[in-house]
Amino acid sequence: MRKILLGTTAVVSAVVGGAMMAPQASAQTAPTVRIGGSFQALYGYTNQTSQQSITSSGLPTGVGGGSVFVPAGTPTVLGSNVVGATNIARLGKHDISSNASVDVIVNGKLANGLTYGANISINGNALEGRGLGSANRSNPGKTSMQIDEMYAFIAHPRFGQVRMGDEDGVMGGLMNSGFVAGFGTGGVHGAWEGFVGRQGGGRTTTAPGGLGDASKILYMSPQFAGFDFGASFAPNFNSGQGNGCPNDSASSFCDRAIAFSGARSAGIPSAGSDFAARRNEYQIAARWRGNVAGVGIAGTVGYIGAGAARDLTANGQQFRVLNDLNIWQAGVQASFAGFTLGAAYTYGDFNFFWGNTVRGDRPAEQLYVGGQYVAGPITVGANFVTGLFEGGNRTSFAENAAGTTLTAGQARPAAFNPVTGVGANSLAGQRRWGMGIGANYRLAPGMDLIAEYVHYSVREQGRDLDGNRPGIQSRSFANIFLTGVRLAF
Amino acid sequence: MKKSARPILLLGFALPLLAACAGGRQVQNDEYGTDNARELTLRQTGATTAGIVVFGVDRSRQAQDAAQGGGGMTVNAFLWRASLDTLSFMPLASADPFGGVIITDWYSPPQADGERFKATAFVIGRQLRSDGVRVQVFRQIQRGNQWVDAPASTATNSEMEDRVLARARELRSQSAGTSR
Repeated sequence: MRKILLGTTAVVSAVVGGAMMAPQASAQTAPTVRIGGSFQALYGYTNQTSQQSITSSGLPTGVGGGSVFVPAGTPTVLGSNVVGATNIARLGKHDISSNASVDVIVNGKLANGLTYGANISINGNALEGRGLGSANRSNPGKTSMQIDEMYAFIAHPRFGQVRMGDEDGVMGGLMNSGFVAGFGTGGVHGAWEGFVGRQGGGRTTTAPGGLGDASKILYMSPQFAGFDFGASFAPNFNSGQGNGCPNDSASSFCDRAIAFSGARSAGIPSAGSDFAARRNEYQIAARWRGNVAGVGIAGTVGYIGAGAARDLTANGQQFRVLNDLNIWQAGVQASFAGFTLGAAYTYGDFNFFWGNTVRGDRPAEQLYVGGQYVAGPITVGANFVTGLFEGGNRTSFAENAAGTTLTAGQARPAAFNPVTGVGANSLAGQRRWGMGIGANYRLAPGMDLIAEYVHYSVREQGRDLDGNRPGIQSRSFANIFLTGVRLAF
Repeated sequence: MKKSARPILLLGFALPLLAACAGGRQVQNDEYGTDNARELTLRQTGATTAGIVVFGVDRSRQAQDAAQGGGGMTVNAFLWRASLDTLSFMPLASADPFGGVIITDWYSPPQADGERFKATAFVIGRQLRSDGVRVQVFRQIQRGNQWVDAPASTATNSEMEDRVLARARELRSQSAGTSR
């Protein structure tokens, strides 16, 4: 009887357990909690345009940011903003920057093969600039720690993995191919951005990870015949727990705001505060990885889509002033005998901050090419990015006196109606390109010495990219040489 | 959301179901890209460390220590070492410090032509105890061109065990001496 019972149980567990939950026998392990981290210290020599404020007309169009901390006015009064003051500052070339991160990593495994865990990353690079209000002791220092990624995951060998929390999307860095950046600090998408001022917007914010860690849910499949798939969804741009509303009123700052006054200028995420009009962001990715005649190949095709909050007039009318994010990306990379080469092409409705474009803006396109070579402890590499993005001649919207409608103050070409969306897109464009070359020497496992050079350039005919100099500066560029050390533990 | 997005989303929901039907390979976390500062640095610098374990068992360290023959062993280190020392006059076929098993290859002593021996030692447990090691010696003799099994004297096994225990005691007193 016992034998029969055991036999039946074995059959049942083979059918139910085997098919549903336990494809492989594995021992259950208690979760481990680890603390790890990283550190980087770099010396940077920066030579860029916009190193002097002569006319101090504030920030260039499209770069965003508040006005209260724009350094202007008489130098003895910090934080005051005297309009029209001239010759405010000159920038030198030398700087040393340091950054550290501390991570808490939890990992566990159940007897049925299910793995689970969480990752919390505390990072010191959240603040780019310093706030100096007069008599203001409440401003955080530039080294304030802030949570970067935080998420939990549950992974099953047969069903794949679900992640939930503040994490990049499947096309926001998790499954992209072609972005070769394993040398220096990442070349054109590396640490040089920490050295340049944003005058002229001379930064590459279109790295995959630049899409942001908005609170989201992700699903990533197991790999079948070399293919794996992923999808992610974030209801809005914000991360973290709070609802975003700074006070008791419903306002544009609330995470769940679907229409608000001024959405027309919230297409580009504002600096530092997780604030943008992007809503319902979803990403899907299909990736293939395999070995073709000894050459390791990885290729990804993916799509990023998102809506945008609508603008709201004083009378309560809602207007769609921003385009949806509508981005396709295809990338491929190949590795052989220490060499890795990759390329990725991105096309669609987005701007260089991954923001929603204004209706009437041209679609953007970007090409990325990179390569690296590893020989023992030395890695050398180079990458290049070029793209065409919406320019400054954009549709502007103005509300009428009755607050019943938004009218387009400027539309290019004139045939385009930004309120109805009828007509051809504007062709005004901004050309951006950058290149980075770098090398690492591995002093010890986990510690690299780094040297890197990056050039980045922005051009837009007829548009003043440096409002702080007299005349029209239709070109802005930055050259950065940096060297230092990187360590992970 | 645009209407064209709906089929794509449906596809997204269908993926887990699809995944359940066909057998796939589990994709590990380090096969995904990352924007995490530590993870990026870790991958770029080829770090072998997995952070400091504050709770739970550090399996990566165990494996590391085993590779270096260090303190991650699950059997008594003195007994293990002593067994290796004692059996080292024979060629080793396998030694597993986790299971505590040492298997030698066949060995023919120069003074005993036409006779060969093989030994298996089991180190049991973490404690240094007299019953913490079992040695089994196998013997074969040559008949014509063939090796055939022959009984080894029962005393051989316990003699070998005694030698191991004596060596373990020696090693322990040596290490106690150096630690003072």
